[in-house]
Amino acid sequence: MPESTPELRKAGSAREATLNYALDGAGTPRMPLAHSRGLARELYDRLELPRWRRSGFWTTSLQDLDLDTLEIRTHGPDASAPAFLDDQRSAGVLVQRDASVVHVELDAELAERGVILCSLEDAAHEHTELFERYYLRRLPIDRHKLEAASAAFWTGGAFLYVPPGLQVPAPFQIVYEISQGGSAQYAHTLAIAGPGSDLRLREYGLAADSDGDSLHAGQFELYLEDGARCRLAQVVDWGAGSVHDVSTSIVEVARDAWCHWLPALLGGALVHHHDEIAIAGAGGDMAFRGLFFSERDEHLDVFAVDLHETGPSGGDVHWRGAASGESRASFEGLIKINQGAQQSHTYLQFHSMLLSASAELDAIPSVLVGADDVSASHGGTVGELDEDLIFYMQTRGLTRPQAVRVIVEGFFEPLIVQLDDPPLEQLIRERIGVKLAGAAEEIERYALAR
Amino acid sequence: MAELEIRNLHVRTEEREILRGVDLTVRTGELHALLGPNGSGKSTLANTIMGHPGYEVTEGQILFDGAELRELAPHERARLGLFLAFQYPVAVPGVSVANFLRMAINAQRDEPIKVKDFGRQLDHAVKLLDVDRSFTSRHLNDGFSGGEKKRAEILQMAMLKPQIAVLDETDSGLDIDALRTVAEGVAKLHAEQGIGALIITHYQRILDYVKPQFVHILLDGRIVMRGGPELVARLEREGYDPIREEVGANA
Ligand SMILES: Nc1ncnc2c1ncn2[C@@H]1O[C@H](COP(=O)(O)OP(=O)(O)O)[C@@H](O)[C@H]1O
Ligand SMILES: [Mg+2]
Repeated sequence: MPESTPELRKAGSAREATLNYALDGAGTPRMPLAHSRGLARELYDRLELPRWRRSGFWTTSLQDLDLDTLEIRTHGPDASAPAFLDDQRSAGVLVQRDASVVHVELDAELAERGVILCSLEDAAHEHTELFERYYLRRLPIDRHKLEAASAAFWTGGAFLYVPPGLQVPAPFQIVYEISQGGSAQYAHTLAIAGPGSDLRLREYGLAADSDGDSLHAGQFELYLEDGARCRLAQVVDWGAGSVHDVSTSIVEVARDAWCHWLPALLGGALVHHHDEIAIAGAGGDMAFRGLFFSERDEHLDVFAVDLHETGPSGGDVHWRGAASGESRASFEGLIKINQGAQQSHTYLQFHSMLLSASAELDAIPSVLVGADDVSASHGGTVGELDEDLIFYMQTRGLTRPQAVRVIVEGFFEPLIVQLDDPPLEQLIRERIGVKLAGAAEEIERYALAR
Repeated sequence: MAELEIRNLHVRTEEREILRGVDLTVRTGELHALLGPNGSGKSTLANTIMGHPGYEVTEGQILFDGAELRELAPHERARLGLFLAFQYPVAVPGVSVANFLRMAINAQRDEPIKVKDFGRQLDHAVKLLDVDRSFTSRHLNDGFSGGEKKRAEILQMAMLKPQIAVLDETDSGLDIDALRTVAEGVAKLHAEQGIGALIITHYQRILDYVKPQFVHILLDGRIVMRGGPELVARLEREGYDPIREEVGANA
């Protein structure tokens, strides 16, 4: 097989470059860390800060971000895990604060059975063979400056390996924290589920509310080997500070493997996520869920890709988003069925709810199909608050804000219950509740104006 | 003892005037029937009593125990002890009947209701409405049949224990068994809790099971005739036309 390296690919639009990359698929060669960092560094010098166009009238631009002013902050180890994980049972916890991994713990029995949870830095040295087999196998690093920056400069990072056949019911938890404004966090998670293994993985992106621009340039890659099963959830809430989050997450599903993936994007001044799930083996199946809630003047831009490289394969993509304040949110969903991926069946739906007159919410679904014996379609709804429903609940004694809360929670509930994970469900419900409380006044004004 | 008093009520929507001077008083313990053909303004009256923002009161008053309701939001009216069983109940997606009821009950109290008390009341109410307890774990009105929706309305009424309830065509769209259950439920609540009710209907069937003391006939936004149960019998025999003729120029 001819060597195909990222140098050969030009930085183009997000969509094109990814698809080209994905077509290279498993043919991408092993890449030692030093080599890829060098390559990424060159790309970083050459590439522009990104600017994405969405449906002509919508742009996400990071061109005003001054990377040179951002601090790379390092920290010493922290003996304790974040408080919000206290009352949960975990298989393992890894915390990265700004540029440093500050806390790692792994259930001793799991460690004995071959599970690895460590910083990605350590993995590159101590588990070199595994690292080189998977690192950047599918993740692009060449589409824009921040992607290249992340690949060139990441520190800390998370590495998880679950050996073949092992079933781990408790979740692995990986936390990225930004501790103060003016920080840059180049983050990278690499997770591997060995053949026939079964696990739960949660990744959090959290920040203290503070002034000054910050950057989280994140890369996430998860490989599910044959027959592996994984429930993956990502909870991102960067709070009220000025965090810019430009992240790419890619999940590869091999033969007969299955993944339930839910990103919950709950806050951040500017968030651009490219979330892609690729069915790479026959019999692969997935449920790709996602929810977001944008508020104030936040800017959220999601590109979700459901890629079928081979059939038979299944997919079920279901996202829901709400926007309040003067926020703008765009959801672009793409189904792509490659040539020859016969008997792939997938469906993409997106439902939105607008909570304020000055918020904007766009949905851009598209389908590219290269095989004939497949089914691929999309649907969705655009909603506003239903005044009849609010009145109904008010006549039962609920205040207007209480009624609105019931509606918005009910809107997200179909996705939340499917998490099958009560502590996580509770966490997401609570965070949505806090957002609604914050938006109560403007929701009221919106209703009165209508 | 509570009293809902409606005086010379005029109500309009953006397009036109719908109620043109309605007078009506309902006290706890009293059963009233309001009959009128389609489009006469029955639901408008019911919604206006609860403070629906789409209806504007241009003249007249709605008083609860002598106090004007005009400035009160719907939830405040509910907390005073008013209840509306909707003609067309809407679905509350993602919220079970039981959870919704708990929220509604707690909205009227300082301290949340005890789990045991709530369970006991709910058991009592489901028996009254002849539904399965599993009914209360379904999402409220979501995918309910017509009969289930109406049962759920009366179930809410039983749990919320209003002083005065308006039942807007709770009988329409029901088969005879459902009608009997719902009507008997209302009659029992009247007997047990002494609620006052304004039973709005467009047929007379429900009145075979719930015996109103007062009957009012609404035509084109006005109450044109009042009486006792004999009026129901007359309507059943003659329909609205002779009454319309009789009151003639008025309506
Ligand atoms: N929200 C509304 N907006 C416009 N017209 C309405 C509205 N509600 C009722 N109407 C009109 O007012 C009249 C009475 O309606 P309604 O009160 O529903 O009658 P009923 O319940 O007696 O059948 C009808 O002509 C109806 O079309
Ligand atoms: Mg009506």
